[in-house]
Amino acid sequence: MFQDEHSLRKAIGGMNIDAEPRSAHREQLRRQMLATFEAAGRSAGASSQVAAPSRMRLVSVTLAKLAVAAAVVISAAWGFQQVLRLSAGPLTFDQVRQATQKMAWLHAVVTEYRDGAVRTDQQWDSFDAKKTYTLTADGSVLHADYGSAQRKFFYSPQVKAMMVTELPRRGVWGAPSAHTLVDTFAVFADQDDVMVSESSDQYAGETVRAFELDRSDPGVRVNGRTVTRLRMKLMADPDTRRLVAAHIEKQGPRGAVLAREEWVVSYPQSGPEDVYALGVPRSVRVIDQTAQVIGTPSVQARPISTPGDTGRSKLVPVKIELPKALFIGTPQPNRVPNLARPRRGPRPPFLAPPGTTNVAAGKPVTSSDTEPFIGTLDMVTDGDKEADDGSFVELGPGVQHITIDLQDRHEVYAVIVWHYHQQPRVYFDVVVQLSNDRNFKRGVTTVFNSDIDDSAGLEKGRDLHYTETNEGKLINTKGLTARYVRLYSQGNTSDELNHYIEVEVYGRPVK
Amino acid sequence: MAKPVEETPYDDLVVQAKTEASALARLYDLYYDRIFKFCVHRLYNRTTAEDITSGVFLTVAGSMRDFKGRTEQDFRAWIYTIAANQANAYIRKTSRRKRLMENVVATRRAAEPGVSPWSQLDWPALYDAIGHLKPEHQTVLTLRFFEDMDYDEIGRIMDIKPGTIRVTLHRLLRKLKEGLQDDLGGDL
Repeated sequence: MFQDEHSLRKAIGGMNIDAEPRSAHREQLRRQMLATFEAAGRSAGASSQVAAPSRMRLVSVTLAKLAVAAAVVISAAWGFQQVLRLSAGPLTFDQVRQATQKMAWLHAVVTEYRDGAVRTDQQWDSFDAKKTYTLTADGSVLHADYGSAQRKFFYSPQVKAMMVTELPRRGVWGAPSAHTLVDTFAVFADQDDVMVSESSDQYAGETVRAFELDRSDPGVRVNGRTVTRLRMKLMADPDTRRLVAAHIEKQGPRGAVLAREEWVVSYPQSGPEDVYALGVPRSVRVIDQTAQVIGTPSVQARPISTPGDTGRSKLVPVKIELPKALFIGTPQPNRVPNLARPRRGPRPPFLAPPGTTNVAAGKPVTSSDTEPFIGTLDMVTDGDKEADDGSFVELGPGVQHITIDLQDRHEVYAVIVWHYHQQPRVYFDVVVQLSNDRNFKRGVTTVFNSDIDDSAGLEKGRDLHYTETNEGKLINTKGLTARYVRLYSQGNTSDELNHYIEVEVYGRPVK
Repeated sequence: MAKPVEETPYDDLVVQAKTEASALARLYDLYYDRIFKFCVHRLYNRTTAEDITSGVFLTVAGSMRDFKGRTEQDFRAWIYTIAANQANAYIRKTSRRKRLMENVVATRRAAEPGVSPWSQLDWPALYDAIGHLKPEHQTVLTLRFFEDMDYDEIGRIMDIKPGTIRVTLHRLLRKLKEGLQDDLGGDL
């Protein structure tokens, strides 16, 4: 028991609290903070600019009362200032387009209001590479390669397939050969029957240059309804000359608003490398329709990589020993969203190439929680899968992970995890990743992700929550090559803590 | 006697950071780890600590141009004040942290049946006892024992006289020792 400050300090020193920050958070916050600082500076500058003319007006009024001549001088000075301003010329849309397209990446958060619903999509444009990527609120990914490939890729998590088609001649707003917002605006602006109006406007407390146009019958539809009028308003920062925001409205007959989009634009240093970086599973079935589409004869259908042949005809059942069940059936915890329905009967045999074994047995395990509350990390791979007390390791609250080092590269066919099967619990934010990088910074493949709200910060997952049973959760990894296996979780339906009884990794060494 | 203000190599940086983003970035590098650790020690949850840390630095970024201080000591007191206030506000509006620690303590005690939490000093019991203190009192303990600050510095951050901090700490120690459940009546 502590008697004084010294003894309490000693006790606290023994707590071993893991307070090491994450470098990803540090860097992200640094960018946010500096952006906030710059924005605060611009705001302060704008306020002082507003205040200055007010003072000037006061002075001029006073001077006018004193002498007409002084007022004439002030008026003359004001007129001279206006002449100077006009000679500098207002910002043109071409300047905005050039400044915007000079940037490495454009990122837009697009909020769409349609049929009483609101959804938020994200878009990344690489003007140099002539590629756009769109991640929609439901996890669909749309990628347009409007450079040499001229392909459109569409992945839907519902269909679990990626369609590859030739790029349509019209972009999403109906402008021919334009697949970005600024290009679309430029194409419409060049048309004879379209008028572009320019004005100074306010956006987020800042003065911006606004460019607006109306386009009749753009040739697009919203939910099967024809858009008869498209209104676009692009707003640019007069200092950087870059696009900062946009409003787009699609109207139907009699002026009914069919959909409205609000774009907030930023310019990050990097963007997604490919569609897989936006959550498309690498094992996704690719349906290449370009060979059947009548397109430009010179454009050859490019071969699309498909998952490698795992020699399915030579697969054999993998022997998986199960611990004894501590409850009968699979009672479902209440109020867990996105929960998988329990399987009727035992799990079917898992097939893998001959020679596939549990390559994780006895392998070293590390964790984000270096001081487990209960148990030790070697319990994860000690072969004891029973749910008795003393068979599991308990990690602290919050997002925690364990990493198994297979000590060599392996073809990994399945990962089976038993978190805790004394009770029918559901563990939240279960994410399983494979990599050859011990730090999981490069070449990371996520093979399972049930974090449906991205609360763990590892990207939003689309896999279902599941109830713990003595069968464990088998995740088919389809022969991916990896040395390290990392598993995340963030509490469970019983408490905020994280548990592992056993993790098995079925694979074979890379020849 | 008032403690003399110590000059540090970063005093100029604080002045520069009011107008220069690069100087603010250097201050950020100096203080990110400290503030994050402070938040972890106050909130026992890394994710929440990251959120609060973000709030602290975004507040600093938004108000830095108006910051009246001129030394690193001023800045340090200011940023810890923001962090303490934001952490306390979070604790007041959520019961999750308390529930979290109760779970940890209950699990730990279940694993060691028959062992009184006060028969030996184990950290879940200590966390539990700290968790029952007022947020301001928890801040005093965190600043004193996790951040190793002296009474003067804690006083500047919390806008309380150093003597009051000393008395409060004495009472807090007694309260923790006795394992009391009620909030401490004090001068804070």
